[in-house]
Amino acid sequence: MKNIKALTAKITLGLLSCVLVAGLTGCEDVIDLETAQGPAQLVVDGWITNEAGPQTIKLTWSAAYFDNSTPKPVLGAEVTVTDNVGTIYEFKDSASNGQYVWSGTTKDTLGRIGRSYTLRIKNGEDVYTASNEIKRVPKIDSIVYQKETLPFKPDKGPKEGYIASFYARDFVGEGDTYWIKPVVNGKAEVNKATELTIAYDAAFNAGAPSDGLIFILPLRQSITKDSLYSAGASVGAELHSITNEAFEFIKQVSAQASNGGLFATPITNVKSNVKNTNPQGIRPLGYFGASAVTRMETVIDPAKARPED
Amino acid sequence: MSISAFCQNKHTVSGYVKDASNGEGLIGVSVYVREAQTGVVTNTYGFYSITLPAGSYTLVYTYIGYQKTTREVVLDSDKTVSVEMGDESNELAEVTISTKKEDENVKGIEMSVNKVEMKTIKKMPALFGEVDLVRSIQLLPGVTTVGEGASGFNVRGGDVSQNLVLLDEAPVYNSSHLFGFFSVFNPDAVKDVKLIKGGIPAQYGGRISSILDVRMKEGNAKKREVNGGIGTIFSRLTYEQPFAAGKGSFIVAGRRSYIDVLAKPFLNKDLRDSKFYFYDLTAKVNYRLGEKDTFYASGYFGKDVFGGGDFAFGWGNATATGRWNHIFSNKLFMNLTAFYSNYDYSLGQNVNKDDAKDKFDWKSKIISTSIKPDFTYYLTPKNQITFGGQYIRYDSRPGKATAISEGEKTDISQEPRYGDESALYIGNEQKLTDRISLQYGLRYSYFRSLGSGTQYDYIEVTPGDRKQPVLPGKEYGKGDVIKSYGNWEPRFSANIGISSSASIKASYNRTSQYLHLLSNTAASSPLDVWTLSSSNILPEKADQVALGWFQNFKDNTYEASVEVYYKKLYNQIDYVPGSDLLLNKFVEGDLLAGKGRAYGAEFYLKKNKGRLTGWLSYTLSRTERLVETVNNSEWFAARFDKPHNVTAVAIYELKKRLSLSANFTIASGTPATFPTTRYTVGGIVIGENYNGARNNSRIPAYHRLDLAATLKSKRKLFGSGDGEWVFSVYNVYNRRNPFSVYTRANEDTPLRTEAIRYSVIGNFIPAITYNFKF
Repeated sequence: MKNIKALTAKITLGLLSCVLVAGLTGCEDVIDLETAQGPAQLVVDGWITNEAGPQTIKLTWSAAYFDNSTPKPVLGAEVTVTDNVGTIYEFKDSASNGQYVWSGTTKDTLGRIGRSYTLRIKNGEDVYTASNEIKRVPKIDSIVYQKETLPFKPDKGPKEGYIASFYARDFVGEGDTYWIKPVVNGKAEVNKATELTIAYDAAFNAGAPSDGLIFILPLRQSITKDSLYSAGASVGAELHSITNEAFEFIKQVSAQASNGGLFATPITNVKSNVKNTNPQGIRPLGYFGASAVTRMETVIDPAKARPED
Repeated sequence: MSISAFCQNKHTVSGYVKDASNGEGLIGVSVYVREAQTGVVTNTYGFYSITLPAGSYTLVYTYIGYQKTTREVVLDSDKTVSVEMGDESNELAEVTISTKKEDENVKGIEMSVNKVEMKTIKKMPALFGEVDLVRSIQLLPGVTTVGEGASGFNVRGGDVSQNLVLLDEAPVYNSSHLFGFFSVFNPDAVKDVKLIKGGIPAQYGGRISSILDVRMKEGNAKKREVNGGIGTIFSRLTYEQPFAAGKGSFIVAGRRSYIDVLAKPFLNKDLRDSKFYFYDLTAKVNYRLGEKDTFYASGYFGKDVFGGGDFAFGWGNATATGRWNHIFSNKLFMNLTAFYSNYDYSLGQNVNKDDAKDKFDWKSKIISTSIKPDFTYYLTPKNQITFGGQYIRYDSRPGKATAISEGEKTDISQEPRYGDESALYIGNEQKLTDRISLQYGLRYSYFRSLGSGTQYDYIEVTPGDRKQPVLPGKEYGKGDVIKSYGNWEPRFSANIGISSSASIKASYNRTSQYLHLLSNTAASSPLDVWTLSSSNILPEKADQVALGWFQNFKDNTYEASVEVYYKKLYNQIDYVPGSDLLLNKFVEGDLLAGKGRAYGAEFYLKKNKGRLTGWLSYTLSRTERLVETVNNSEWFAARFDKPHNVTAVAIYELKKRLSLSANFTIASGTPATFPTTRYTVGGIVIGENYNGARNNSRIPAYHRLDLAATLKSKRKLFGSGDGEWVFSVYNVYNRRNPFSVYTRANEDTPLRTEAIRYSVIGNFIPAITYNFKF
C-alpha cells in the first residue's frame, strides 16, 4: 500500500522530530557483513513493448551480493522471441556486451496489444523460457503541476518548485495492472526500487476496488520523485500495461527495498517468470516483460502552474 | 472408622483480607489454620473460605511485605472473619517479617508464573525514567521481544498476539504508546501484575501463549490520596478517595505526554501545527453493599495522536469492566464480569476538509463485549472447585475506508467480520496429601464465524504464493453461521513436595485462539488488524508441557527455580511474499498456515529480603516455525528467537532515603535473512538468497546496562506528603544495539549494495523524574 507507506513516512518524519527533541536518535550505520555466496545465475532483464524501433533483452550473470562491479554479460547465447501468431524475432548480441537486440523493421512493431510472446534463450546446454502478453493501456489525458514551497531547504532539489501529476483513467473492467514511470527530459527514469510505482486498476490492489476511476492521488503524483521540479523542467509520465504476474514481480522488488526500520518485512526472493527447462539446472533470475506504452510530456511554465494550496 | 467422623459438624470461616492502609483487597494472602495444619490463599478479590470441623482455631495470615496477623476463632457455626493487614514499612526496621506465602514459590501449585511487585517495577531503571510494566515484563525468564521499541512481548515462543493482556479482565488489544516504547498501563493505577507462561488454569482462555493479568487499584478506602509525577515523557496525576463512609472508594489516574507542548516554541511555522502526543485515563470505583456484595466498575481510555498539515493518524484502546462479587454462601463465591473492549485506529488525509477534491479516510477497529461468570466453591480445605464460563461477541471492522480522487469517491472498505466465542470450564485444586497437590480442569471453547458477510474460497495457483479468490463469494445473512469450531482444552498441574523447602512441579495445558493479529512486519505496528477465524483461517492451538524444580534457601530469602518446557503450536499464520494485509478484501488469500515449536530451560534466582533484592535469570531456548514453501519447507527460527537470554535486576537500599538499582541484559541477536547474490533488472539491484532460506543468519548480540537512583525528599510535602527524585540512565555505556541488520542499495548510488545496522536507540539516555504523594 503505497499511500499508507507515504503516510507512514510522514508519520515517521513527525515522530522523528519529536524523538529528536527528546534526544533519542534511531540510527543507521553502514557495517561490514559477511554473507554466504551462491553460484552465478543467468539474469534476464528484458521488457518488450509495442513501441517502434529496436527492442533489447539484456542477459547478465548474478554476482556475490556485495560485489559492486559491473555485472558480467552472458555472451554467445541464442535469443528468440516468438509471438502467438508464429512470428519469430531473433535477438543478436552484435556488440558482444550481453545486450541482445532485435533491430526492428519499418513495417511493424514487435509488440502488439493482445498478443502473447515466448522468450527462448539457449546458452550452452541450458535452455531458458519465459512468456508474457501485452495488455491494453489507456492514454494519458494531461500533465499538470502545482507550485509548492517546502518548510525547509531539502537535501535534494529546490525549496520552491513544482509537484507534477498526470491524469489518466483506468479502463472499465477489473484487473488491469500498470507500471507508472516518471519521464524526465524525455526519458523514463526509474533508478531505484523506491521509484517503482504500480497500479491495480486506479489504485493499489485487487482487494480495494477502484475500477474505471481516474488514477488516485498518490499515484498521480508519483511522477514527482524525491524532489520538486524547477521552472523549465521537462516532465512527463509513461503508462505501461503489465500483466498481473508482472505486477507481483515489481511489487516484490519494491517490498524488498523497504526492509529497514521498526516495521520491516522479512526479505524474500523475488519470483522470476523465467524457467530453466532442465529442472535440475541452476535456476535463472530476472524478468521477461511485455507492455503497451502511452506517454505524455510537458515543460513546466510557472504561468500555467496551479497556485500553491 | 465410625460414621460419626463423617457426620461431624463442619463449619466455614470466610472473609476478606485487606490492606490496613488503604483498604485494597490483598491477592494471594496465605490463610493458615495452625491446629488443622491446612490453609488456603485469598483470591483476586481478597476473599478466602475454609471449611473445618467444629472447634477452636488460630488463623494465621501471612503476606509478603506485610505484618503477620493472627485471629482466634471458635468455629461453632459459620463465621465471617475479615482482617486488615499492616504494611511492614510501618514497623520498626529490625522487625523481621515472616512473610506471605513467602514459600509460595515452593508450596504453591502455580508454575511458570512470574509476579513482579509494582514496588519493584517502580524502583527499576526505566527508559526515559518512565516506569513501564511491559518493559519490566521483558526482563523475566522466558520472555523476549523482537527488539527495542517493539510493541508487546513474546512468551515461550509465542508471538505478541498470543498473549492475553487483561486490564481488570478486559482484553487490551494494543498495549503500546508511541509504537511500542511505552505501555498503556499507568503504573500509579496498577495494583498487581501476574504473567502466566504455563500451567494456565482452566478459567483462562482465548490466547495460546500466556496471560498477563493486570489488576487496577481499587482506590484508597481510608483516606484521600494524591499521587503524581513529572517525567521526561509523561506527567501523571492520580486521585483516590473513599466515599459512603468507607463502603466505597474510587481512583482516577491520568497521564499525558507533553513533549509537543515543550517543543512547540522551537518548531517553525509549518511544523507548528503538527501533533504528537499520547495520553491515557484510568478510573475505577468500588462499592460494598452489605457483607455479601461488592461492585466494581473500571475503565481505561487512551489515545496516541500524530498528525500535521493535512494528514492525521491515531490509535487507542478503550475498555470498560463492570464486576459483581457475590458470596452466595460461605463456601460459594461468585464474580460476574461484563466488559467492553475496543481498539481502533484511523488514518486520513484532508479528512476534515469538506471541499477537498482528494481525500482519504480510513478507520479500523475491533470491539469485543463479553459476560463472564466465575464461581469458586470451597468444597473442603483440600478441594477448591472453580467453574464458570464466558461469552464474547466480536465485531471486527478491519478497514472502513473511502478515497476521493479528483472528486470521484470510491469505497475501499473491507467487510466487517462478526463472530462469537463461548466457553465453559471446570477445575479443581486438590491437596492429595501434605506433599502432593494437583490442579486439573477442562475448558471447552466454541467459536462461530457469523454473518452477515461474504465468504470466499481460494484456489492455490502456486504453492506458497497468493491464492486466487473464487468469485463471486457466498453471501451469508445476518446471524448465519459461516463456520464453527470447538476445542477441548485440558489443563493440568501438579506439585510434589520433596522437602519443606523444595518441590517438583509439572504441568500440561492446551489452549486455543480464534482471534488473529495479521502482522508481517518485524515489530507489530498499530495498523495491524485483528481478524477472526473463518473457513480459511483455522483456530490457532498450542500444547505445552513444563517441568520444574523449585527451592527456597535461607529462610525463604532466596527463591530459585529451573523450568524446562516444550510447546507445540498449530495453525500459525505466515504470509505470502508481497502480502497485502491492509484494506484488502481478499487478505485471506495472502495467508499461509504452518506450525511452531518452542522449547527451552529457564533458570531463575530471586532474592526477596534484605537491603539487596532483585533477580538473575537465564533462558536457553529455541523458537521455530515450519511453513510449507517457506525456507524450502524446513524449520526456521522465528523473528524473536533468542537462544541465550540473561537478565539481572538489582535494587539496593543504600540509606533510608536512597535506593539504587540496575538492570543488565544480554541476549543473542535475533535471526535475519541475508542475500547471497545480487542481480540487476531495469537498473535496480535485487538481492537473492540462493538457497531460499529464511532467518538463517543472526545479527550481533544485544546487551545493555541501565542504572537508577531514587532519593526521597527530606521535606514533607504540604506537611504530610512525600516526594522523591528518580535519576536514571538507560543504555549506560552507550551501545548501539542493533534492532536489525539489513542490506540495501545505496540511496545515492543505487547500484552500490551495502549492509546497514539499524539501532532504535543509538545513545545513552539520562532522565530525571519527580514523584509525589500526599
